[in-house]
Amino acid sequence: MGSVFRTEAASAPERATRLRETIEPLVAIQRRFSRTVPVSQEIDAGLPYRGLPLGCIHEVRSSGLACGIAFAAMLAARISSPGGQIVYVASDRTLYPLGLLAYGVQPERLIHVVVRRPLDLAWATLEALRCPQVDAVLAVVKIADLTLCRRFQLAAESHGATGFLLTDVVSRATTPVASVITRWQVFPIPAPPESTFEEPCWEIELSYCRGGRPGRWNAAWRNGRLEPLASKPVRRAGLLHPNTLAG
Amino acid sequence: MRQRFLCLFFPRLGIDRLERQNPQRRSSAFAVVREERNHLYIAAVNDPAKDAGIRPGARLADARTLLPILDIVLDDPEADEQLKQSLVEWCDRYSPLAAHDGPDGIVLDITGCAHLFGGEAALLEKIQTLLREMKFHVRGAIADTVGAAWALARFSKQGVVTREELTNALDPLPVKALRIACETAARLDQVGLTAIGHLRRISRDSLAARHGPGVLLRLDQVLGLAEEPITPYRAPAPYRAGRTFAEPIGTAAAIERTVLDLLRKLCTRLEKEHRGARLFNLDCYRVDGSVVRRQVRTSKPGRSVTHLMRLFSERTSSFDVGFGIEIMVLSAADIGTSAPVQMTLPHCGDSIEKDTSLDELLDRLGSRLGFDRVCRFQIRESLLPESSTEFVPVTNALPSSACWPENRVRPVRLIEPPAPIEIAEIIPGKSPVQIRIGRQLHRIVRAEGPERLTPEWWRDRPSRWKTRDYYRIENQRGARFWIFRETTWSGERWFLHGHLP
Repeated sequence: MGSVFRTEAASAPERATRLRETIEPLVAIQRRFSRTVPVSQEIDAGLPYRGLPLGCIHEVRSSGLACGIAFAAMLAARISSPGGQIVYVASDRTLYPLGLLAYGVQPERLIHVVVRRPLDLAWATLEALRCPQVDAVLAVVKIADLTLCRRFQLAAESHGATGFLLTDVVSRATTPVASVITRWQVFPIPAPPESTFEEPCWEIELSYCRGGRPGRWNAAWRNGRLEPLASKPVRRAGLLHPNTLAG
Repeated sequence: MRQRFLCLFFPRLGIDRLERQNPQRRSSAFAVVREERNHLYIAAVNDPAKDAGIRPGARLADARTLLPILDIVLDDPEADEQLKQSLVEWCDRYSPLAAHDGPDGIVLDITGCAHLFGGEAALLEKIQTLLREMKFHVRGAIADTVGAAWALARFSKQGVVTREELTNALDPLPVKALRIACETAARLDQVGLTAIGHLRRISRDSLAARHGPGVLLRLDQVLGLAEEPITPYRAPAPYRAGRTFAEPIGTAAAIERTVLDLLRKLCTRLEKEHRGARLFNLDCYRVDGSVVRRQVRTSKPGRSVTHLMRLFSERTSSFDVGFGIEIMVLSAADIGTSAPVQMTLPHCGDSIEKDTSLDELLDRLGSRLGFDRVCRFQIRESLLPESSTEFVPVTNALPSSACWPENRVRPVRLIEPPAPIEIAEIIPGKSPVQIRIGRQLHRIVRAEGPERLTPEWWRDRPSRWKTRDYYRIENQRGARFWIFRETTWSGERWFLHGHLP
């Protein structure tokens, strides 16, 4: 960007062309991520797209997957097209649909796919992302390389489904840096004394965002939306909550 | 339409089976023996033993006096049965209606099939040559009725017998060829009625009166005056298309091309009849005699050629063609109605198509992973959390009208089976103050409960679980758990059933 201002000697039309060249990719990015869903008022303000962009791949990290599934399910439930399905791909049958009701996911929309091998997981996720009648794909991944993430991204872009890669920090699931559009980390935090168990409190960290800045918010899930909590800093020991390691 | 039947007779199937297993047996005398009333009898013999004068039906002790070095093998009817089953399946390539015919025979309904193989004589010659190359002793015959073909295969040297020649061919055969009981045949022999021709010449009334209606029925069946249906070893697929190749094919492109042609043929017919199929079977008959089968299942009755072709190409990519495939047969089963839907209006130039992408996705997932792995959720009336929802394969999923229970605090994943945990500190009757999960000690700062859930005592098999008291607890770091206490006569136990988000 600096080059535009450094070349003082250039004529006005040249400068205009260069400016246009600089702006066009930015506009293209904006257009590419024009379809969004709101996360919450505060978080949307921190995102460059004014919401979570659809038709791309997001990663949600959590410990033990519980908060990650809840967060992704909440976002997937907001992507609603008539008859649109939510596909959950995992290697086990532990998902409990009654727990997802609180996050707005109707179990009729859910398709649960059980895979045995990582190869099948990648294949099933790609197939689901390419289906126009699928709104969102939640995939529990153990390991994903840059090529695979790129293929997920291309599949999602081509047909408009949104992919959520759910990774578990306890089992050290990894995805490469900058392979996804946004990377979230969701961890539970102690609730204020007046709240009940129906209102989980999370620390939501946006650790990577393409074209945006990272951020961190404390929020409670209340009445079907994320409400901000007084963001008193929570002392955490590194990335992992040692005390949430269980099961 | 006049029917034509082909009968194959295997005079010594047990011997053939053993000789095929161990070719060295062919050169030394051996016999298959059968145990009957604590004696061993000769059931069948091979050629060297036959040359030594041993006949089936003799006692083993008598045979051993003739030939002390006689090798014996105990008979195994099950193995013979299995061998014959695979022979019937092998014959399936010539006619879809292949049936077992007693312990030593096979019958094929070749009505309208023979011209595909160059006529009846050529067909019979081909089958016999191939089976003899596979080292089977076999004799076959073709006639208008099952009975006539059966008799000719066993008691005559003639192969193909036309309708006009039938009576002439049958007349000299012994009465045993009528498939009647041995005693009846012996009685007929005693009165001088030794050939079928003799029976034909005496009046039907006296034949029935003197020798029972069974003989008359058998005679009518042989001559085609009475019906005799056969029972094919498998129900013929009503929707079926096949192709025989002049030269065996082996390349993936050729196989794909053939599958596409067969699918087009079958799907055009299905579309005309407003039907669809859930199951497509592809049978490929290889040159070496084995059959490669591929199966494609769909979640709804379907007939879309492009979609089915895609499913098949995933299944045929790992295909061992051996030395080549000579016949390919595609059949559709599990037929359901599938009415065509009009999406476009005439003269409007629109090209809207019904969106079937979800069904196609489910079919692709199901055919690769198995349909039991692609599920939807259905609610069940149960109080226990783990049995209140059910994984139902998408093929069986009902259109959901379920009323899901109101929002209760539940984990998003269940730990199955519930993991036992230790309670480090507890005030009796209250929620725990400290719990230990694995090696981790958690100090509990908040708790909600108990929520009491009782198992269903009215179920057939009472659950091994007792009444449970569920608690929602939170540790000092904010992690939330869903635990329960189970009280039994010996005390109480605690389990972790899930992590709350």
